[in-house]
Amino acid sequence: MSAHNDDSQPEKVDLDDPKLSRFDVYREGLRKDGIEIIHYEPRFAKPGTAAEKRMERIVSGLFLLSGLFATAFVAAYIFWPWEYEGAASWREPQTWYTPVIGITLGLSLLLFAVGVLTWAKKLLPIEELVQDRHDGGSAKEDRKFAESTVDTTVDDMGIRRRPFLVKAALLGAAPLGLAAVAPLGALIKDPADMLTVTGWNAEKYNEGNPVRLMMKDGALVRPDMVSAGGQITVYPAIEHGASNEFPTAPSLLIHLREQDAELLRENLYPMYQDVDALWGNYVAYSKICTHVGCPASLYEQQSQRLLCPCHQSQFNVVDNAAPIFGPATRHLPMLPLSVDEDGHFFAKSDFLVPPGPGYWNRPSLPEEDEQ
Amino acid sequence: MKRRKGTNESLMIKAGGELDDRFKLAGPTRVLMNKVFPDHWSFLLGEIALFSFILLLLTGTFLGLFFEPSMTHVTYDGAYVPLQGIEMSKAYESSLDISFEIRGGLVMRQMHHWAALLFMAAILVHMLRIFFTGAFRAPRETNWMIGIVLFWLGFFEGFFGYSLPDDGLSGTGLRIMEGMTESVPFIGPWASAALFGGQFPGTSVISMLYIFHVFLIPLIMLGLIVVHVGLVFAQKHTQWPGPGRTEHNVVGFRMFPNYIMKQVGFMLFIWGVTAAMAGLFQINPIWLFGPYDVSVVSSGSQPDFYVMFLDGLIRLFPAWEFRIPPYFSLPPVFWPGVVGMGLSIVLPLLYPALERRFTKDRAHHNLLQRPRDAPHRTGLGVMVVAFWLIGVLSGGNDVFAEKFDISLNAMTWFGRIGIVVIPMALYYITYRICLGLQQHDREVLAHGLETGILMRDPEGRFYEVHQPLAEPDEHGHTELEYNGWVVPKKMNRVGALAPTDKGFFKSIEEPTENGGEHRDEIEAGKHQ
Amino acid sequence: MAASAKRRRGWRKRLGALARFTGALVIVGGLYSVFSPSLYAQEAEDNAIDSEVVKGEELYSTSCITCHGDNGEGVEGRGPSLIGIGSAAVEFQVNTGRMPMAAQGAQAPAGEAVFTEEEAEWLGAYIDYLGGGAAVPDDLEILVEDASVGEGGELYRVNCSSCHGYAGGGGALSSGAHAPELSGVTDDELYQAMLTGPQNMPVFADNELTPEQKADIIAYVQYLVNDDKDPGGVFSLGRYGPSTEGLAIFLVGMSTLLLATLWIAGKS
Repeated sequence: MSAHNDDSQPEKVDLDDPKLSRFDVYREGLRKDGIEIIHYEPRFAKPGTAAEKRMERIVSGLFLLSGLFATAFVAAYIFWPWEYEGAASWREPQTWYTPVIGITLGLSLLLFAVGVLTWAKKLLPIEELVQDRHDGGSAKEDRKFAESTVDTTVDDMGIRRRPFLVKAALLGAAPLGLAAVAPLGALIKDPADMLTVTGWNAEKYNEGNPVRLMMKDGALVRPDMVSAGGQITVYPAIEHGASNEFPTAPSLLIHLREQDAELLRENLYPMYQDVDALWGNYVAYSKICTHVGCPASLYEQQSQRLLCPCHQSQFNVVDNAAPIFGPATRHLPMLPLSVDEDGHFFAKSDFLVPPGPGYWNRPSLPEEDEQ
Repeated sequence: MKRRKGTNESLMIKAGGELDDRFKLAGPTRVLMNKVFPDHWSFLLGEIALFSFILLLLTGTFLGLFFEPSMTHVTYDGAYVPLQGIEMSKAYESSLDISFEIRGGLVMRQMHHWAALLFMAAILVHMLRIFFTGAFRAPRETNWMIGIVLFWLGFFEGFFGYSLPDDGLSGTGLRIMEGMTESVPFIGPWASAALFGGQFPGTSVISMLYIFHVFLIPLIMLGLIVVHVGLVFAQKHTQWPGPGRTEHNVVGFRMFPNYIMKQVGFMLFIWGVTAAMAGLFQINPIWLFGPYDVSVVSSGSQPDFYVMFLDGLIRLFPAWEFRIPPYFSLPPVFWPGVVGMGLSIVLPLLYPALERRFTKDRAHHNLLQRPRDAPHRTGLGVMVVAFWLIGVLSGGNDVFAEKFDISLNAMTWFGRIGIVVIPMALYYITYRICLGLQQHDREVLAHGLETGILMRDPEGRFYEVHQPLAEPDEHGHTELEYNGWVVPKKMNRVGALAPTDKGFFKSIEEPTENGGEHRDEIEAGKHQ
Repeated sequence: MAASAKRRRGWRKRLGALARFTGALVIVGGLYSVFSPSLYAQEAEDNAIDSEVVKGEELYSTSCITCHGDNGEGVEGRGPSLIGIGSAAVEFQVNTGRMPMAAQGAQAPAGEAVFTEEEAEWLGAYIDYLGGGAAVPDDLEILVEDASVGEGGELYRVNCSSCHGYAGGGGALSSGAHAPELSGVTDDELYQAMLTGPQNMPVFADNELTPEQKADIIAYVQYLVNDDKDPGGVFSLGRYGPSTEGLAIFLVGMSTLLLATLWIAGKS
């Protein structure tokens, strides 16, 4: 047990000694790596006993069974009907394709694994060895050699003697490093007005004509299309208006009940009063949450709240959609509404404040600061 | 039969000779095959991550054969009926095709996703083991830092992979990432525009994430994993204290055949579990989510579990926005999202240095510590785990609220208060428990085991007989020194450090003659 | 399978034809009765409705009046007015067991229906009598039959998934309220719910979603919760998304592997 002590040098062994067994040579090899055997014995004291045979049979059985499942996997992969056919009943084989190939593959891997592990645990010799650990850096001699090598190299280059050369190299390398990252500049794009201008902007997207409201399928929205207590998602009626090209445009058009509309009119921020943002009992809020931009679209028509399902910000519909719970800090911008002579809703202007998540230079509103 | 065996052997020797002539392999082969590894179940946790990483490379390559990272618009006309005729991106269409039109594609997708979750889960569990046993201490700080970097690379690798199919859920995740990017002072909008090629979601982000997901990050990870494992190999594995184990040796078994067979077996086992899970449990059914549409969201939208912690913090953070009107503000998501993530990257990286600074312990440690012997560290670890768990729980608080009929607002408030109070309380409780356990160990070493035998002395007082663990010395003391390893607490544990009942599923009666002398020593308390 | 589906579709077609035929007959009969009014028939019909209203009123005054007040005018702080909500709303609330409400709470939970469907119809007739409202079309079955699952899916994702979830599993709302899961809900109930907007649900009347669009949504929901067998495995993990997947990787994956490490490293 104490044979591995550093001070006890085992006597030198002559490897050509014919009396030496293979194990002796082997142990000598171990010693070269600082390894001593504490304990080493065959798993089965007598080779070929019934117990050993039994274990061999178990392990071979596991391997063969694994092969069987692997074959089953390959067969199922090739021959099992796999084409997805939609709503099929549980009795149809193709609904079982994924489970069948997943489970057969899994079982074949698991069985092989258990085979290998059982082999390692039950058939390999019982062993315990101890190896020296040479921790804490190189030998003093090695360090000295390394130091002198590095020093010589540094002196050969004359780094200490030629300070100007070094400075010049650094001065030259700095722009070179910049040149290496400069092409990444191709990624840089001016965000310009992407955070402030939406698809509701008449000048930019509709040749100055007011942008009408449409539904996902392109139908223009009339007041009679939303009943009291109802809401629909509306998009700017421009080309691709309902697509992801206008991510800050989707809005929620809500037809409030009379008493709720009355409440909202009382609470309306001055900037929305000034532009007469409501049309009758209809109000449109940006659907994009002012927290991080998920659609805040869970409209609770009884408690008059809008909830964002991503981080649970809640907005009060009858109070300018001001945040009343959760991490959001700003109200959902209101889209000023009116109805044209054809009876279709249109946006009187773009949102008065930028919709969507906050950013550092987004203008603050006195209305919000008051809260 | 015998003769053939002989020729086989001489063939092998001949082949070995030829190889050695050219590559000089004899020395390294011996060193490699004989290297001693310690054996403990907790040393196998990192392997789960390693082998699921290999599986991720294999399944990912399969998926890469069929996935098209393009946001070009197409109209779906595949096998999944409810999406027929729907406009979607090529990326989403090809992900649907992998699920429905490619033979075995769905099982590969699911294996890839389960292996990704397993990879991250294993890193976490492995990291806890390293932390609580002090295995990160000198000389292994570098490897701890590489491990932390690997966790965060895995985090982004996973998040990008989750984003690639361009389904409803992944788009929602990207949207949140975009909101976080925008919140960074000064560069936010510019960074977001660079990431998405202009306005979110744009038409380029999927191909950008793709090159990160399939090339850049895996390449860096592979390199770091090689270094990580190489350092474990070069610095030699830590070991638990115990009889015959010192700071200057490793007790265990050889790399060949024992260790390598267990590794190969475990690798296949991990792959088998992943494949079976891919067949048993449906994961990420993208066909239910529909294509990403900025105006569409689902209740119960969550990221994968390793991101959920961050999402939970974002949910819990109060509505605090710092404003300097008219033109400067810090959105609320900046604190948990950007600062929170930054701290969760930096603090773990610095932890080994911080601990060195506070304990002033600059020595090398190759023996592990039991958690009870480092009560401050253990308390801190439990605190961080509690903080993390409440964050994760809050990341799914809407699902909890719905399924267990709790008010969503109440869940949020529970999280807000709990994430501050509970970790602190747990730190203190854990610290006290550690001290108690330490004290009990030392009591047993000093006075012996409680035998359960009650005696009454002549004066009528009752006392319990204690069985000392060592022979009394010349002064009659039986006190033993604590050496950082399990102290027997019951009479029938004396004589064996492990349970006397051996065998995993059923007990194996084992003759004691092998370890006999060994055991006497332990009983006598003479080890070390 | 495909064959049996076809067979079922064939059946449905025949049933649909029968229903259309019956509908045509009813219309012809109706026209006939309009153009040649028979006093007797009219009276009989009126009587039939009247008797339903009377029976409904009886039920109302025993089970509903405490909260909803005399003549459905509502009681402040207890129950809203029922005037003008229509029979669809009443039948939805009563047939799904949401009403009568056992106790005041954030939201009336669904449960065992207290009244029979016939009684619910009487109650509906009575409330309709107090002030008319929306009703489920008689040909809903045919509409759903002809509906497009794909368009229903798109409408569902824009209008419904934000509360009821991608997979119809329901979701949490603010302050203890929640959107219920959609499995096990009948076509009629889905239609009634959209039409009348029970509790916190917004109203999707015929002007927001035409009856055909509602039928599309119903077809999609039923496909989603009944016919869409999860192709990805034996267990769907409740289709809750990443939260249950995260649980599964720890409870199934990691714990299996932890047991494996104990076995592998165990002395034997």
